[in-house]
Amino acid sequence: MIWQDFKYALRLLAKKPGFTVLTTLVMATGIGLSVYMFSFFNTILFKDLAFKDGESLVVINGSLNGQREESEINWLDYQEIQKNIEGLTEFGGYTSANVTVSGRDGAIRYVAILAQANIFNLTRTRPLFGRAFNAADEQVGAEEVVVIGYQLWQNQFAGDKQVIEKSMRIDGKNHRVIGVMPQGYLFPRNAQVWLPLRIDPSQLIREQATGLRGLAHLEKGVSMADIDKQLQVIMQRIEQQYPQTNSGISAFISSVPGAGGAGGEPVVYTMHVVAILILLLASINVGNLLLSRALERGKETAIRVALGAPRSRLITQLLWESTIICTIGGLVGFLVMAWGLEITEPIVTTFFAEPLAFWWDFSVDSYTIKLFLGILVSTILVTGLLPAWRTTGGDFNAVLRDGTRGALGKKAGRLNRLLVISEIFISMAVLIAAAVMVQSANEQTNKDIGAETANILVANVLLPETNYDSAAKKIRFVKQLQTQMQSHTGINEVMIMSSLPGHYSAEQKVMFEGKEYTKSSNNSYPSANYIATMPGDLAKLGVELRQGRYLNSSDNSDNKQTALVSESFAERHFPSQSAIGKRFRLVAKETGEIDWITIVGIVEHTIQGNRDGSAASVPSIFRPYSQAPRSRITIAMRLTTDNSHVIKLLRKALQGIDSELASYRIETYQASNDRITAPVVFISSLTALFAIAGVILAASGIYGVMSNTINQRTQEIGVKRALGADEGVIIAEFLWSAVKLLLWGGIPGVLAGGFMGFAMAQMFGTGMSALVTIIVIMISIVAISVIISTYLPTKNALKLEPSQALHYE
Amino acid sequence: MTKTLIKLANIKKIFYTDEVETHALNDITLTINKGDYISISGPSGCGKSTLLSLLGLLDTSSEGVYQLAKHDVSNISKKERARIRNMEIGFIFQSFNLISDLDVEENVELPLTYRKDLSKSQRKAMVKEALEKVNMSHRSKHFPSQLSGGQQQRIAVARAIAGKPSIILADEPTGNLDSKNAEAVMDLLDLLHGEGATICMVTHDPRSAKRAARNIDILDGQIVAEQNQQSSNDTAAA
Repeated sequence: MIWQDFKYALRLLAKKPGFTVLTTLVMATGIGLSVYMFSFFNTILFKDLAFKDGESLVVINGSLNGQREESEINWLDYQEIQKNIEGLTEFGGYTSANVTVSGRDGAIRYVAILAQANIFNLTRTRPLFGRAFNAADEQVGAEEVVVIGYQLWQNQFAGDKQVIEKSMRIDGKNHRVIGVMPQGYLFPRNAQVWLPLRIDPSQLIREQATGLRGLAHLEKGVSMADIDKQLQVIMQRIEQQYPQTNSGISAFISSVPGAGGAGGEPVVYTMHVVAILILLLASINVGNLLLSRALERGKETAIRVALGAPRSRLITQLLWESTIICTIGGLVGFLVMAWGLEITEPIVTTFFAEPLAFWWDFSVDSYTIKLFLGILVSTILVTGLLPAWRTTGGDFNAVLRDGTRGALGKKAGRLNRLLVISEIFISMAVLIAAAVMVQSANEQTNKDIGAETANILVANVLLPETNYDSAAKKIRFVKQLQTQMQSHTGINEVMIMSSLPGHYSAEQKVMFEGKEYTKSSNNSYPSANYIATMPGDLAKLGVELRQGRYLNSSDNSDNKQTALVSESFAERHFPSQSAIGKRFRLVAKETGEIDWITIVGIVEHTIQGNRDGSAASVPSIFRPYSQAPRSRITIAMRLTTDNSHVIKLLRKALQGIDSELASYRIETYQASNDRITAPVVFISSLTALFAIAGVILAASGIYGVMSNTINQRTQEIGVKRALGADEGVIIAEFLWSAVKLLLWGGIPGVLAGGFMGFAMAQMFGTGMSALVTIIVIMISIVAISVIISTYLPTKNALKLEPSQALHYE
Repeated sequence: MTKTLIKLANIKKIFYTDEVETHALNDITLTINKGDYISISGPSGCGKSTLLSLLGLLDTSSEGVYQLAKHDVSNISKKERARIRNMEIGFIFQSFNLISDLDVEENVELPLTYRKDLSKSQRKAMVKEALEKVNMSHRSKHFPSQLSGGQQQRIAVARAIAGKPSIILADEPTGNLDSKNAEAVMDLLDLLHGEGATICMVTHDPRSAKRAARNIDILDGQIVAEQNQQSSNDTAAA
């Protein structure tokens, strides 16, 4: 019996290959896109780590002014949290770093972690060889020890099993190798080197305490929300006690993968909603196409009932069609999705200068397969039950008689209206959300970072504290490097800064002269990007001077303390007066005596790091490198020759100055900036793809439903024409009905899309006018497609003579 | 003196399907006078419904001349045809063809809403009058699905007469009804004819045909016989 029904369904599908291909492709699009989206975000944000108890391992991050971001918390705050919080156990902590390892292949930079001793216990992972850290390793002044990653062990020691106790030169200092971690172990993200975090307990000054990321295990039965509530209470108490340092600062927990999405929740949730809506759209479309086919076969169904077929049998038979279409479509979608996941990894790798997080394995995993099967069964039921319910529950006697559509018309009309309203709602919501995302990406990509990026090659150099332990050594190195590189033909200009405009920069808290920062004054220390630059380099990069003067060689003298500030800094802190001549000092002083720094010039605002929201508006302070030397520097060279030649020259120069120095992230200035916006461009491209699929699915779906509706109302059109309605009246009537549907589906669609769009606009800093423009454009697009979808089938139905329309079957 | 309402001269209707040419009507010449009560009969596929469609301007003839109230309507625009259907012709269909989404009152009012010369109150008055005539005022707020077949057809009759057309065209008006309801609808048509309405009806049912004053028989698209009921009754009596 089942086999017979299956064969019959196959025969019906084979009879109309166009219909079969169309519905299969629609389903493939819906299932493929939605499974991809879910799988993508699961891989980067929601996956449990593959350690024992990996699901209970959480990270404690800092937040500023309610904005969650993957940032460190003050060590003293973390001590308070550990003392007062309930529901967390096995506290640990770490801070990220970059180190230069000098070995048989020269100096190579690695991602390192300075971690508390229990880091490996937290992840329930033992070293492959040797031992993990112990309490003695954490003591200040203890012997320098290191645990290394599998890959580094292979690269630097050729997999030598006698590596333990061997010495390794890190940042110019010898370290004893005490352990090798197993292959694939890169916790917490992509580390290859683990060093003990040594915190001086005498560090009791909050302003100078180390920052770190907390780690702990969540106790059974405790939710993250519970912990977050406690964290807020604890952090509020600290803020009340120390308003100068802790104003607006709080903490939150997340899973280790989830920490990467902190602050990006609106985008993540929106993308999930969009994925569900696309799937729903595809299901509605296929359901409607199957419904119209089932209606075409209404008489056949009625005859079957008349011959004694039970309703369950009829439903099963109709479900076979949806089962075949959804399964074939689903499999096609799944294959394309699997290919999509496969190419995702190489694409995503280009977004980051560092290796990807170790759990980012974009492939078909058990989650993806389970999700696919769940979605497949749901789509079979949604697309099959709709026509089955509609066509097997009617008055068969009436269907068998002639001309009695009127009795069924009302129900059919209601269902069709509901379908169109749903399609309008979904398409409107998806289009608005996607358009905001695309607009934000566009704005970010084209944002003025404050500098000119053309024909510039950049490279980074890390000066190890061991060899460059004084300001004088650092300054000498930088001057030497600049002079050497400038002497080569093909290099027009050489600029050296701790962070170029557009790149991420360290921030510093400052205090202004004449302003009180006590508990009673309720003033908190303002924060700003803190950048060291060689005099004249800002002008070379095209950062325009607004007031005062640029830094020059006169600022290089030891006794001077000067700074340039960005226009945004001046506007924020000196809104009604000139900032020139004003003085400030650092809260956590770098070296030497407490010095007041005088503002000598104001330059245009530069963006450092993220281009979106509040991150883009953080003001900047530029200090002469000679007054504020740094270990991490970026060299930028304006070229008239090819890059590879200059890269060789740079490496040669570095080797000449110090053989233990490595240059890394050598790329064009433009490429380095593009990498910062690449994730949002990728997500927006993905959303745009969804939006395009959404528009095609919605437009074709609305057209399908409307033409089906109008087709079913051909007889009614004939009656109305017989009663004297001319074509204009009929068209106007149908268009008015379409407008009503547009309002029914469009208003909630605009609200839903507007809500998602607004959430993203807030996050990315997209203006309200852009949001309104997007909404108006998207309303127009959907409205036009609804009008066209109504007008064309109506016009088509009107081609029939009224006499033909009256007898239309 | 009898007044000519409709004049058909040498009307032909040819349908083309793929490569087959079907002559649905072949050289029909017919005159309908004001106040006539005509029945058109014939076997299935003989062309009687096609003839009614042409008379109702629901379709156009392939050849011939159609005059309605002395105006040639053979080649007028679609818009003009719609206007004439609305003002001059009332339709009654076998399957009632009421709009399921509209209630009884709205169904009857429907053709009147296409007229620009009527105010809302005028339309309401005309609907009320038509519903009273078919004795269905008490069902004005019901939907078609809530009515029996006979009641639906009476509503269809009310819709046909609401605009006071020059002629009522009925296509198998009792075809979907039981004998009791069929009798009632035919009584209604008799009543309307008695009040001066011109009626042209296609029917299979000899009992319904008998009620008409003129009986036209069609076979293979041609009028093969026409008899006046009155004269035939006279002949029978003689």
